[in-house]
Amino acid sequence: MSTMFGGPKEIPPQGPPPKPFQLPTPEDFSLPNGMRVTIVPYGIVPKLAVRAFVQTGGIDESAGQVWLSKLTAALMKEGTATRSGEQVAREAAETGGQMEVETGPDFTSAGGVVLSDFGPKFIALVADVLANPALPIAELPRLKADLARELAIDRTEPQTLARERFLKTLFPDHPYGRVFPAESDLQGYAIGDAQAFYRNHFAAGRTHLYVAGKLEGDLLRAIEDAFSGWEQGSAPPDRPASPVKARSLQVIDRPGAAQSNLYMGLPVAAPASQDYITLGVMDCLLGGSFASRITSNIREQKGYTYSPISQISTRRRLAFWVQVADVTTDVTGPSLKEIFYEIERLHKDPPSAEELAGIQNYLAGLFVLRNTISPDAIIGQLHFVDAQGLDRSYLATYVQKVMAVEPADIQRVAETYITPSKMTIVVAGDQAKIADQLTPYQ
Amino acid sequence: MPRRGSKTFLDLRRASSCYRTQLRMVIAVPTIYYKLPNGLRVILSPDSTAPTVVTAVYYRIGFRVEPKDRTGFAHLFEHMMFQGSQNLGKMEFIRLVQENGGVLNGSTRFDFTNYFELLPSNKLETALWAEADRMKGLAITEENLKNQQGVVGNEVKAAILNQPYGGFPWLWMPQYANSNWYNSHNFYGELKDIEAATLDEVEAFFKTYYAPNNAALAVVGDFEPEQAKAMIAKYFAGIPSAALPPPPDLTEPRQDEERVASRKDPLANRPALAFAYHMPPRKSPEYYAMGLLDQMLLQGDDSLLYQELVKKNGFTGDVSGGINELGGMFDYDGPMLWTVALFHDAGVTPEQILSAVDTVVEGLRAKPVEQSLLDRSVTKMRSSLYDSMAEFGGFGRANLMACFALFDDDPSRIDSLEADFRRVTPHVVERTAQEYLRKTARTVLLIEPGAESPADAQEGPE
Repeated sequence: MSTMFGGPKEIPPQGPPPKPFQLPTPEDFSLPNGMRVTIVPYGIVPKLAVRAFVQTGGIDESAGQVWLSKLTAALMKEGTATRSGEQVAREAAETGGQMEVETGPDFTSAGGVVLSDFGPKFIALVADVLANPALPIAELPRLKADLARELAIDRTEPQTLARERFLKTLFPDHPYGRVFPAESDLQGYAIGDAQAFYRNHFAAGRTHLYVAGKLEGDLLRAIEDAFSGWEQGSAPPDRPASPVKARSLQVIDRPGAAQSNLYMGLPVAAPASQDYITLGVMDCLLGGSFASRITSNIREQKGYTYSPISQISTRRRLAFWVQVADVTTDVTGPSLKEIFYEIERLHKDPPSAEELAGIQNYLAGLFVLRNTISPDAIIGQLHFVDAQGLDRSYLATYVQKVMAVEPADIQRVAETYITPSKMTIVVAGDQAKIADQLTPYQ
Repeated sequence: MPRRGSKTFLDLRRASSCYRTQLRMVIAVPTIYYKLPNGLRVILSPDSTAPTVVTAVYYRIGFRVEPKDRTGFAHLFEHMMFQGSQNLGKMEFIRLVQENGGVLNGSTRFDFTNYFELLPSNKLETALWAEADRMKGLAITEENLKNQQGVVGNEVKAAILNQPYGGFPWLWMPQYANSNWYNSHNFYGELKDIEAATLDEVEAFFKTYYAPNNAALAVVGDFEPEQAKAMIAKYFAGIPSAALPPPPDLTEPRQDEERVASRKDPLANRPALAFAYHMPPRKSPEYYAMGLLDQMLLQGDDSLLYQELVKKNGFTGDVSGGINELGGMFDYDGPMLWTVALFHDAGVTPEQILSAVDTVVEGLRAKPVEQSLLDRSVTKMRSSLYDSMAEFGGFGRANLMACFALFDDDPSRIDSLEADFRRVTPHVVERTAQEYLRKTARTVLLIEPGAESPADAQEGPE
């Protein structure tokens, strides 16, 4: 535009040195039945997050049981031995929150965020839902119909389809690779299947309760009263996965699609590895932040896409790197070319110390945000460390380790782990229009 | 000049269990509010819980008021604010915030466009300097504009054109339920309009709306107010104000007949249904009653519509929506909708669903609501207010206070919201439901899976 500025550019003011940051201090203990408890006092807003993570989820489904954990979770909200489903919903609302029961690949969580003055009451409600669910058969047909509808709609979303194919390829014979059930399997689930899933996998010994926020009332007493009667159960089974590390290019044909959805990546070092934090720094520089190389290239220089992002995802004791981007159809090939160009550039040359320092400062700042932004965020940090079997010192030493990474370390982990010849590449798009563009990547 | 002094941060007063006669809890957020001579509204809210600080600049220009032949322009312009200013070239603003350990974003809403950074608290001056730099003026090239037209085009493709149920209901419902162009146009923008924008138009838009006297600056977090005031004066006081155009007439006529619209969605495979009612004027007793009706009817598994449509009839797995699909009930200034949306199976008809909705809504219009239901809605609202204030490291509080400064010249409204809701009586709820939840004031939007026939394509707004 025509506005002209003369003279030398101003240098941004740097401000004073940072104030010291103290992580919130958690208090940990176990109940006699083996349930672990972590309480974190934080903040002054009178809200409390309560989340009980049970070590079960998609991981415990057989090939013909996909989403049975989800169905079980939905049934758990439908009442307990002494409360109807409507009562559970109403009592949760009276605490200013909602009862949320959610499943993931490795964990199922029950809880919510409530007004602090009702913390003890809500904790009792969470315990009732976890330990005494009615799993009523009367609600089964409705919940199955809801899941069938959800499945149908999920299957219309291009990013979701690309993700499904990617995970199926990475984990061909493991529950982590089974994103969607066959509709016929889903329709066949009986109440007995959900009851058995609950009986076999929900118990105090597999559960870690986190409570974070402004603490009011006698929460220790409330937790003991609510959860002590829950049986210990058996230890969770170990189902390790060995993700596939091999090059493949797969196209999900969506005739007429305005964009191609790219979903590409491969397994990398697990959270317990010495390289994991370095990988996180590398990822942030390569594609994992707004100012990253891939985003600068395909968004800000080329305008191919709106929200490209790379990230490191984890499952229990493993991790994989992915780059995703929704790109305009006619630049599908050029987008892949630029992504590989940026990866290979990092293989060849270490970043400058200046570029790396920017990323390190970003991650150090993000760490403060992740540990202060909300009670649920604080729980998320602790749950990650605990679920991966890491020492709690992981959090206390994280920033120090990030700041110690050298440019050569970035180049080394990029070269060691982000290997184009071992990448799974999924493209959901208009095959007729993108086939030629994809030829170089077969 | 400060309008009010600082108070203790959250003054939480327990009182009797009787909700109706006494406030159980009073929120008092410390607010320092003043204006620079150039008209910039400044809100400071210190809070030392974490060593972080939010810097948020709100311009009073949203997508309602954009050039009529340039739909989507306000949003495209938001992107241009990241493309370069006097001292920060393209990508340098973003890099500056990242390298200092922060996150940033911008968004375009009905009645404002905002830009904000969340940073370690020692970087407040850096953020203020950078925001002032782009308030002074932009330095954008033809190439940067072309690039962002591509990015925004991809944003629209990803969100709408290549996405099943893409604009449902948030983008489409206002186009059917409203009749005034400012409220009813496609505010994400037609691709042809986005592609047609020129540098001159970008410059004219900036000069018209991005002036300090059309903006509010909110700082929330760990800082010393006196130091912040000095820095704000240093960086912002020299920016000249501008003559603002008179605001256009945004009013919507009273709706007296139910409207039903339907759209075909070739990417969808299940039907969907949404309905919307018009909101009462902001800050009226009915407005606060509508906030509580939203809680009673729609928010949470205990809500009346969830219980009726999900639990009792099994029509859907969830009902969603609320007041202002692009924000909440406090961050807009003009006509607004309360919207409810759900997905259902082909075997269930819209008539069945709407008949069940009528059962619930007519119940609230026929007689005063039960006190226990009203009390529960107040509890839920209180919980949600605290969430709004704490959201994203204090950004939620900056958002409310910046909006109240821009729209009402009174950010301290944040302190009285809870009391405003507690004043709502069963009688006010009934009166509100009678006028605002009339079937004749309702707009229904149906999404039908399948390809659009050429004849359908002629009907209704884009």
